[in-house]
Amino acid sequence: MTSKATITVLGDPEEVQRQWRASDHGSILSENEEAVTFKRAPGDRGTEIHVDLARTAPGGALGETLQKLLGAAPRAKVMDELRRFKQVFETGVVTRSEGSPEGELAERKLKQRPAQPMEDSELMKVGLR
Amino acid sequence: MRANVWSGRNTVQVENVPDPKILDDRDAIVRITSTAICGSDLHLYDGYIPTMKRGDILGHEFMGEIVETGRAVSNLAVGDRVVVPFPIACGNCWSCRHELYSVCENSNPNAGLAEKMFGHSTAGIFGYSHLTGGYAGGQAEYARVPYADVGPFKIEDDLADEQVLFLSDIFPTGFFGAELCEIKGGEVVAVFGAGPVGQFAIASAIMLGAEQVIAIDQYDYRLQMALHKAGATAAIDFSKDPDIVEQLKELTGGRGPDAVIDAVGMEAAHGHGLLHTADRVKQASRMETDRGHALRDAILACRPGGIVSVIGVYGGILDNFPSGAWMNKGLTLKTGQCHVQRYMKRLYDHVKNGDIDPSFVVTHRLALDLAPDGYEAFKHKQDDCVKVVLKP
Repeated sequence: MTSKATITVLGDPEEVQRQWRASDHGSILSENEEAVTFKRAPGDRGTEIHVDLARTAPGGALGETLQKLLGAAPRAKVMDELRRFKQVFETGVVTRSEGSPEGELAERKLKQRPAQPMEDSELMKVGLR
Repeated sequence: MRANVWSGRNTVQVENVPDPKILDDRDAIVRITSTAICGSDLHLYDGYIPTMKRGDILGHEFMGEIVETGRAVSNLAVGDRVVVPFPIACGNCWSCRHELYSVCENSNPNAGLAEKMFGHSTAGIFGYSHLTGGYAGGQAEYARVPYADVGPFKIEDDLADEQVLFLSDIFPTGFFGAELCEIKGGEVVAVFGAGPVGQFAIASAIMLGAEQVIAIDQYDYRLQMALHKAGATAAIDFSKDPDIVEQLKELTGGRGPDAVIDAVGMEAAHGHGLLHTADRVKQASRMETDRGHALRDAILACRPGGIVSVIGVYGGILDNFPSGAWMNKGLTLKTGQCHVQRYMKRLYDHVKNGDIDPSFVVTHRLALDLAPDGYEAFKHKQDDCVKVVLKP
């Protein structure tokens, strides 16, 4: 059970931190700013973002029971948010598929939609219409 | 729209499903005019790739006409004719900027799932299980294409669909396999597998300057295509003599081929004896997912100091890897899902110049609604089937 989550984003540390502060993160990372550090990656690889899970408290998205069980933000949820930030920073869009229309979501891993387009009513339910 | 969906092992069905929609500013919607069944689709059909869900639209080789674009797509207009590469690549990440499109860092929204199996996620792929993102595939009337400003390749002349469709996957994949062999002129290259990808690997090895190219398969009709259409200079039919390594030595004065291309992958058919039985038993109980006969023989056959280039698809874990032969002969093992975007323009130019007509692999053309028959014919090599093109 690793206590760190990390991702590398292709951008200078100043620009990455600037956009990080301006971004609307998922609930976990927004409430745990002290747990997040930035570090220049070697060569031309950009900026590493490190989240120390031991210093986080579970975000508002999790129920109280989960908070008691886990004691710290689960790595999978933190990775979801880090990936989303990287996607928007590098590509301008959140990566979505028909099987995962909300984008990367730990809860979706076991409950994928079939890989086929959605009806308009489904699109509205996931906030895409 | 009509679409061919996965419905369990050995079952695909053409059903009515909703039309795709633009989900992001960088999307485009393509009305598909031609699409094909790939050898790797058979791994899905045969049930070897995990994370398939009933209703998944299959297919990753498709082309057609742009009918809608997202606001951020300025390079394409409605009406443009495009071929779509099978790896979905954002164009912005470190990997994409280094032309490693098939390992794009952003295009798989199920990256967490893929990481568990492979250590890292790789690119999303159309119609190829939820491990690669759960994207709807192209064996359908329409498809949503993400990052449309990066992937789709415009066709601006009147070459027939069948002459350019294979720029989506199998021609670049065969070419990639041959390029990995570092052919400088005068080499002997052996190609395991004379399916469509093998045919293009053979043709590409010749184009790149190999002096001899040996095709290996167990179906005579495929070996004949390799010899008479793809340019192979020799053929080994292992249904007649299963000792491929020995036959390759005979054809190369005992040296072994300078490079060997594995265009077979995880469902290798030619194992024999105890190793094959062990593989089949393990595979049936899903303890071992990949059969490695082609890869093993490639390593044993390759001349010391040579290159083994693997473009056949592997998905899981393989037992009995000849590590001693590989290490002590100093072989270079190179592999990957083809970075299609890197090759489309160059190979398109070859087609335009008349250097090659990729349609030579097509043996069957069916309406999309007959996709189930297409899968059966392709899987069981019925009616001398090599490549099936579906028309929506």
